[in-house]
Amino acid sequence: MFGCKRRLGLIEAVESVNLSKVYRDKETVEALKDVTISIRKGELFTLLGPNGAGKTTFLRIISTQLLPTKGEAYVLGYDVLTQPNEVRKHIAVVPQDVATYGNFTPWDYSYYFAVLRGMSGKEAKESAEKALKAVELWNLRNRTCETLSGGEKKRAIIALALASNADIFMLDEPTSGLDAVARRSVWAILREMVEQGKTILLTTHIMEEAEIVSDRLAIINNGKMIAEGTPEQIKHLAKEKFRVIVEGNLSSLGIAEDNDRATRFGSKWIIYLEDEEEAIKIVRTALKKGLKAETAPITLEDVFVKVVGGEAE
Amino acid sequence: MNSKIVKDILIVAMMKSVPDLKRQPLLPIILGLVGALPLFFIIVFGGQIIYGLIGAIVGSVGFIGLMAAIQDMAGDRYLKIREMLVAMPVHPLSYAMGISLGSLIVSSPGLLIFVALALWFGALTVSSLLWSIIILILCWGTLSSLGFLISTYLQRATPNTLSNLASLLGLALVFLPPVYYPEEMLGNFTWAALLFPTSNAVGLIRIYSGFLGVSVTMIFLRWLILLATMTACGVATLTKARWRES
Repeated sequence: MFGCKRRLGLIEAVESVNLSKVYRDKETVEALKDVTISIRKGELFTLLGPNGAGKTTFLRIISTQLLPTKGEAYVLGYDVLTQPNEVRKHIAVVPQDVATYGNFTPWDYSYYFAVLRGMSGKEAKESAEKALKAVELWNLRNRTCETLSGGEKKRAIIALALASNADIFMLDEPTSGLDAVARRSVWAILREMVEQGKTILLTTHIMEEAEIVSDRLAIINNGKMIAEGTPEQIKHLAKEKFRVIVEGNLSSLGIAEDNDRATRFGSKWIIYLEDEEEAIKIVRTALKKGLKAETAPITLEDVFVKVVGGEAE
Repeated sequence: MNSKIVKDILIVAMMKSVPDLKRQPLLPIILGLVGALPLFFIIVFGGQIIYGLIGAIVGSVGFIGLMAAIQDMAGDRYLKIREMLVAMPVHPLSYAMGISLGSLIVSSPGLLIFVALALWFGALTVSSLLWSIIILILCWGTLSSLGFLISTYLQRATPNTLSNLASLLGLALVFLPPVYYPEEMLGNFTWAALLFPTSNAVGLIRIYSGFLGVSVTMIFLRWLILLATMTACGVATLTKARWRES
């Protein structure tokens, strides 16, 4: 089926069809329910979802670490179930919450993993050097990981994946626990990888990350995929396009506080609106009454909360 | 076995030993002392050091083989090196043997001291050394396979459970059977020594060093059991190990 498609260059980087996973331990947990996703070559695709949504389960199945209960999955046309060895030649995985080994240096990580991919010593050294320079750890290559900062440790692990020269990178929440500066440096590395033609499957629960780095994304919740598209397409799923943040009493603006478009956070209110002019009008009225107010287009987070909230209901 | 599998065994072993040896030079001494601990009690309570020394060599090799994979699984809860290697073109056999060989390399200074002492005290003879090395490799291979097989069924166990299990298995296979004490102490139950790869290995080394007189049939039987145990553990690991989580 895929032989002809591969010759014509029509193969997707990653495809899953009705992928499902049920964990049967002390209790039965349906972690993934009929997830069908298609990831194109050379794009950064993000799986966005709250903790426990099924993102890691999906990534672990696609990366041949975990067997699904039902469904099909392909990486570059190779069947994840029956051709795991072929799949493994083309992917590099960074699991969630990886701790670095204190006695390893960034060089140890990149070099040993590159050699284990089948590279010669010389190739592995070149690849490790290139990867460590890409993540700006070359000067720290011989420092033990226990002496590195959290961001540097994460970059050492990303370098390990980069040194593999794989076609597809699968990164499970690579920026979790990082501060804003370190997170942004990881984003820059990811976009650089995509510009070099690599495909990235990323999981995250950080909305800003998904919005900024993704070419396309899927929202996943309770094991089900509930939306898929570019960040802009996802944002269009909500009929409201603007939000107004007001600090103070809403009723003084003539807006009922039990309005289902408004959400309260202490003394602050967020009001979601379809019309920009209406949003500006509310801000002007609020400012005239001495209240703090501002308006902006809705964010991915707003849509996510609405979509996931609606799903939960 | 293809060359990639063998090459990967050596790379995993290097990865698991060279950084530790370079940056934690006291580790081999500590591991050596752990193996020597029973020797201390043997000497203090008037036991024969020649039994203790052979026991320390086999015990260390067996313990490393058995523990490497289970301890690796516990560490991997945080380091996730195994998890990353599952998704790479690395054969599980390379990983199983590599982590065990890595631990053996780290423990090798201690082991070499035991071997030197065993030669000095006459517990090992130069002529029995080659046989002893073959026996030790078989014992190590058997317990490495067994340890790895068990570890793959414990992918969701907590680090505490893994650690407790490793201690229990060590007790069952290294300290309970006649490894540090002569199998003659078992009386009518000396046959039990043949059932454990560790005590069987000790028995065979003692035979080749001239400390245990048994018939040729018994030597043959001991070799047969050692080889059969190794084959069974190897086949079970290759066919039943859960490298990929189900």
